[in-house]
Amino acid sequence: MPETGAPATPGPEEDVVDLLLAQHARVEQLFLLVIGSTGDTRREAFDELVHLLAVHETAEEEVIHPLARNLPGGGDAMVDDRLAEERQAKETLKTLIAGGVDAEGFDTGIILLRDAVLTHARYEERYEFPQLRQHVPGDRLRTLAGAVRAAEATAPTRPHPSAQSAKGNLAAGPALAVVDRVRDALRKPSAG
Amino acid sequence: MFNPLDHKGIPLESQIRNWRELNVEPIDPEAVDPYTRCRIITMNGIEVEAINFQHQFARVCPDQDVRRQLAYVRYVENQQQRVVNWLLPGVASVLETTLGYEQVAVDLTALARHEPDPYLKQAYEFGVLEDFDHLYRYANLYEMVERRKAEKVVDGLTEVMPGRPTVQEHRHPFDEVRTPYDRNSVDPRSKLNALTILSAEQQVMFYYMNVGPQYMEPIARQLYQEISLIEQEHVTHYESLLDPGESWWERLLTHEYNECWLYYSFLQQESDPRIKAVWELHLQMELAHLQQAADLLRRHDGREPEEIVGSAGLPEPLTFEPNKEYLRHLLATQIDVTKLGEGYVQEAHERFEWMQQQLHDGQKPPTEQVIDMHRERLGDEYRIETEGPHPVERLRAEGGTDA
Repeated sequence: MPETGAPATPGPEEDVVDLLLAQHARVEQLFLLVIGSTGDTRREAFDELVHLLAVHETAEEEVIHPLARNLPGGGDAMVDDRLAEERQAKETLKTLIAGGVDAEGFDTGIILLRDAVLTHARYEERYEFPQLRQHVPGDRLRTLAGAVRAAEATAPTRPHPSAQSAKGNLAAGPALAVVDRVRDALRKPSAG
Repeated sequence: MFNPLDHKGIPLESQIRNWRELNVEPIDPEAVDPYTRCRIITMNGIEVEAINFQHQFARVCPDQDVRRQLAYVRYVENQQQRVVNWLLPGVASVLETTLGYEQVAVDLTALARHEPDPYLKQAYEFGVLEDFDHLYRYANLYEMVERRKAEKVVDGLTEVMPGRPTVQEHRHPFDEVRTPYDRNSVDPRSKLNALTILSAEQQVMFYYMNVGPQYMEPIARQLYQEISLIEQEHVTHYESLLDPGESWWERLLTHEYNECWLYYSFLQQESDPRIKAVWELHLQMELAHLQQAADLLRRHDGREPEEIVGSAGLPEPLTFEPNKEYLRHLLATQIDVTKLGEGYVQEAHERFEWMQQQLHDGQKPPTEQVIDMHRERLGDEYRIETEGPHPVERLRAEGGTDA
């Protein structure tokens, strides 16, 4: 059986678009896992999903969307659409984190979130990423891949957001910490 | 067995659908039975063939009244195609739909297994290994450009590994032409099998020749270009099996009868009740199309429909079912076969070599390059070999795979 859990090994040619595509693929797998499992497996998969979404969306907001805004042919409206989708998904995500995987309504909520996130990802792949590949020099896209990987490495790897979900409104705390760490790292001048 | 000739179906005047009825909800790509997607892709190909056939018929038909009747039914067939194909979700990428197309082409081996005529059976078994190879090439492209694994689409039902290598599939066009069946003596089931596989392959050709240039990645553009040319060979291969002596009236009847058979078949197996309702509705519509075709046949050809499709009713339903073992058997026995004249041979004959030289001209074709690139960028090639190593030793992966 294929090792479906492991994203493709990054090669020297990998650019930031490849990196984000691999994360989209992993997000899809994690949704399947969360939806199809129960108990600890579901809790762990959901934790990983929350963590990955936090680092991934932060990288896109800090690096990809600003780059896309300045593309010829009016990237602004497209980026606004993507940001609106991200905001909406975050609201659903917050509710799910607050309730935890055992909450009533989690099954419905996770499917709503999945549909929103995967549609958003496909919009990026169809309308945003090809523009970047066409207009941004390849070596810059490759450098950005390194910057995003480095920034993501600064984030705490096991935030266990749902482990603390019983404490209610503290729930989103760890995910927000991830966002802050990645954002800080990406805003350092060396990040490109 | 169900005999569609005994049923009236929905009256033709009640078959036009409004916008609300046309606006169907697509399937959920994350939770779909992969065979539901196979059935949708198959029926789309069947409806596209119905539309194209009726356009061709109208162009050679001098009777204005018949042309109006054809135009009406063709409009309904168009709405059926729009509904069926619009069941595919917008979030699926072109490459994911492509993987679905190749999976259908491979899974239509079911036709070969139930084909009563040995020459036709050989034609189907020959073709399967080529689409099987395309699935492997596209799966490698998919991981490179979308960073996803084909496992997501084929869902464990089909293995992904080399078939007859596409580089060897480019033959002289003369050798694609087969011997047609004899319309008077062939089993009616064979007519339906031939039309079904022809329709499926034709749709694959149309799809690739149109979506290929939408890619920006050079390797993707080139891969679609190459494989679409093989699909063109397949259309020649399968269409030449049909008896060219069949009259237009007869062919219209066979088309409508085939649509009834397939909607009836899929109705029996469909796991998604919402999609099942579509198959049921379309069967009821096709029954009326068949009645019209039967009337035209009686009036203009002076024959009864039973003379064309028999009086025994529909054949056994066409089913999609696991076929890994059967494919491995074909791989072990059919891999080196090519075509010469209207038969099959094992040697690389002069005309084959000539065509290979004209086309490849000392270069590696895109179907080889895509595997090289995958190895170079991701360190290995993509395969799904769940039942053991490849049955043909020389087609085993060099230095491992990521599957």
